[in-house]
Amino acid sequence: MMVVFEKSLPVRYIGHLDLMRSVQRALRRSGLPIRYSNGFNPHIQLSFAAPLSVGVVGMREIMDVPVEGEPDPENFAAVLRKTLPTALKVLSARIIPDDFPTLMALVAGSELRVEIDPGVEADKVAEAFQSFMATDECVTLRRTKSGENQTNIRPFIRDGSIEQTENGYTLRCTVINKREGSLKPVVLMQALCEMAGIEAVPYFAYRDRILASGKNGTVISLEEYNHG
Amino acid sequence: MTERIERLLERVEKPARYTGSEMNTEVKPISETEISFAFCFPDTYEVAMSHLGMKILYDIINTLPYAVCERVCMPWVDMLKAMREENVPLFSLESRTALNRFDIVGFTLQYEMSYTNILEMLSLGNVPVKASERTDADPIVVAGGPCASNPEPLHAFIDAFMMGDGEDVIVEVVDALNDYKKRNLPRAERLKKLASIEGVYVPALYRAEYHEDGTLKAFTPTDPAAPATVKKRFVADLNATAYPETIPVPYTQIVHDRIMLEIMRGCTRGCRFCQAGMLYRPVRERSLEKLNDLAQKLVDHTGYEEISLSSLSSGDYSCLPALCEGLMERFADQRVSISLPSLRIDSVVKDSLAQTQRVKKTSLTFAPEAGTQRLRDVINKGVTEDDLRGKLKDAFEGGWNSVKLYFMMGLPTETQADLEGIAALARMAVNAYYAVPKGQRAKGLRITVSEAVFVPKPFTPFQWCAQDTMEVVRQKQQELRRLLNIQGVTFHWHDPSISSLEACFAVGDRHMADVLYRAWELGCKLDGWNDQFRYDLWMQAFRDCGIDPAFYANRPRGLEELLPWDFIDIGVTKRYLRLEYERALKAQTTKDCRQGCNGCGIERIKGLCSLCG
Repeated sequence: MMVVFEKSLPVRYIGHLDLMRSVQRALRRSGLPIRYSNGFNPHIQLSFAAPLSVGVVGMREIMDVPVEGEPDPENFAAVLRKTLPTALKVLSARIIPDDFPTLMALVAGSELRVEIDPGVEADKVAEAFQSFMATDECVTLRRTKSGENQTNIRPFIRDGSIEQTENGYTLRCTVINKREGSLKPVVLMQALCEMAGIEAVPYFAYRDRILASGKNGTVISLEEYNHG
Repeated sequence: MTERIERLLERVEKPARYTGSEMNTEVKPISETEISFAFCFPDTYEVAMSHLGMKILYDIINTLPYAVCERVCMPWVDMLKAMREENVPLFSLESRTALNRFDIVGFTLQYEMSYTNILEMLSLGNVPVKASERTDADPIVVAGGPCASNPEPLHAFIDAFMMGDGEDVIVEVVDALNDYKKRNLPRAERLKKLASIEGVYVPALYRAEYHEDGTLKAFTPTDPAAPATVKKRFVADLNATAYPETIPVPYTQIVHDRIMLEIMRGCTRGCRFCQAGMLYRPVRERSLEKLNDLAQKLVDHTGYEEISLSSLSSGDYSCLPALCEGLMERFADQRVSISLPSLRIDSVVKDSLAQTQRVKKTSLTFAPEAGTQRLRDVINKGVTEDDLRGKLKDAFEGGWNSVKLYFMMGLPTETQADLEGIAALARMAVNAYYAVPKGQRAKGLRITVSEAVFVPKPFTPFQWCAQDTMEVVRQKQQELRRLLNIQGVTFHWHDPSISSLEACFAVGDRHMADVLYRAWELGCKLDGWNDQFRYDLWMQAFRDCGIDPAFYANRPRGLEELLPWDFIDIGVTKRYLRLEYERALKAQTTKDCRQGCNGCGIERIKGLCSLCG
């Protein structure tokens, strides 16, 4: 069962493993027909499309819940919505076939939104983002599993925009995953602050949607991806 | 305020400690209730959320239609610093309300080393730290829990203490304060009202006078509303009293991340060093039926994968095998495991072991407490070496390879022979393991010997005893390290300076409040955390106040001395404690109350103890 849910502001600091455990507990108390793994220590093998960076709000996160049979998706979503804390809100569910690829293999990128608090720093960051979009290269320090390295982060970003709002600025962009991984919002924001010549700027980061590859190099919403 | 808090979270480690929104923590909005209660745990979130008493009282208050209870924990040092810098007051987890906006602020007193955190939390929550400086606009600050049995070191900071089982008295306190809030009566009137509730102690309504040598001369109420003797509260029937059917389920891992099912309260063994064993008398059990029902509801409401059958001595629960078997059967499909903490070696554990093992194999803990039979008789730990040998044999044959042995050092009458006895028991455990044929035992023997330092506690037969000085404790620890240099055995010991301070607060009087305040001023907090404990600052605080810690920790108290906690009636009488102390010095044991009433004093309350008729 593919389940779309919101990881809202109050729980944005819950790490991936804690989130998994919380969802597993919710599934246990839900009474829904969940499939447990075989073996000595049976557990629920949840798989998330893409782990979310700690501190980022996930508007439409996606996970695959192993189920027995073919439960009604609407009812499934309704029951799980009641069982999870309100800060983890189930938005929809749909049955996916057994031969559906793993969600993680389908992920091509995400839509990122950053709400920046108003101020002089924000103005500078907005300018920096304009010049970021206009160049081909922005080398910055990026921390990965294998250590820190200088990476050109510009190729990760596609279709960026920034607009002034009542509450500061809204930065939107499409993050495209590369072979070496994804780009965390915090790295982008640090690079922009560096370019703007400021220490830091207060903001909230949101992952609005998780994307899969579409035809001819385009991207589509992973929720709507259909196999075959 | 939410916006400002969100900004702080980016700067601290483990921000999920401060964000709340866990499962089963949605409470009524404060604005829609008549009275609000901030349940404060004076330690970090992970410790707080592992505490059963808080879950019980949180549930009880929130069940009242007109009241709301929210949780408040002690922030870690980085968050404390950030909050001070940004002028963010201490706030509740549920609605992020500042502490001083609550009607009642309640602290649970679980261990002495959390006292500075109480001062820090009040201050950070903009509540005047000293009770005498609070006005009608400030919350009423209450406290309860085991350390309330000697409330005097905290008398200057807490408006009212609740003694004993909290289930009933907390509702009476909330109701009384709600009534007085509606009538808009002044603070002094509210405190007098609280003092008239059985089990409540309002320190401002009592005067303590001291002899020149520093011992207590007289302790008297100064107001007719305050009783000369404060009687502890008891819940007579655990089946009839409230127990939560749903508990908060944290996202992050906490210390005890499981359902804690309290199967009974109290212990009949009568170990003479053990305060809980005296404080929580008489033993009261929950019925099998009730426990099965609660377990099912708690599993359904939380999704937890483990139930811990908790009490002071779970092995003594009268229907333990039936309980374990029933729960295992009930939850086999739901894959919920059952665990038993605090096993005593002389309990009927073998069958229960087999049961718990079927689901999960954990390390076994035994607490012989002392190394020789003589000293075990002194402390009335009714355990023999043969018992231990038999249980270890069972454990190793049953496939366990990891055993923890708990001892206490510096017990009254301890000699070199008793230290050597500890090493002898460890060696016996090693031999018991190797006695099991190689193919039949689990690989990799791990025996952990943990040694705590004896701390004299109020309301125990050892309340008159002195603690060893730190120098003596260090010498003994050196000696034990030498003796325990055995293959397969690891030795853990306690920092004697922490134990010394614990003793000062455990048996302290009103003067210790000055030391506490000064230490907090100097920056002491989170003293229960080794990396935060500043013994040097504590010593400075004692010096600044002109108080010698040895007066409390290392001085034997006279049997005729008026003790700071004598005005509290906890059920067990001082006469009985003294009798037990005298028996201890003669190494005479006292039987388990299940084998007949020993006349501890609980029998004065008709119908309370099922064992004394």
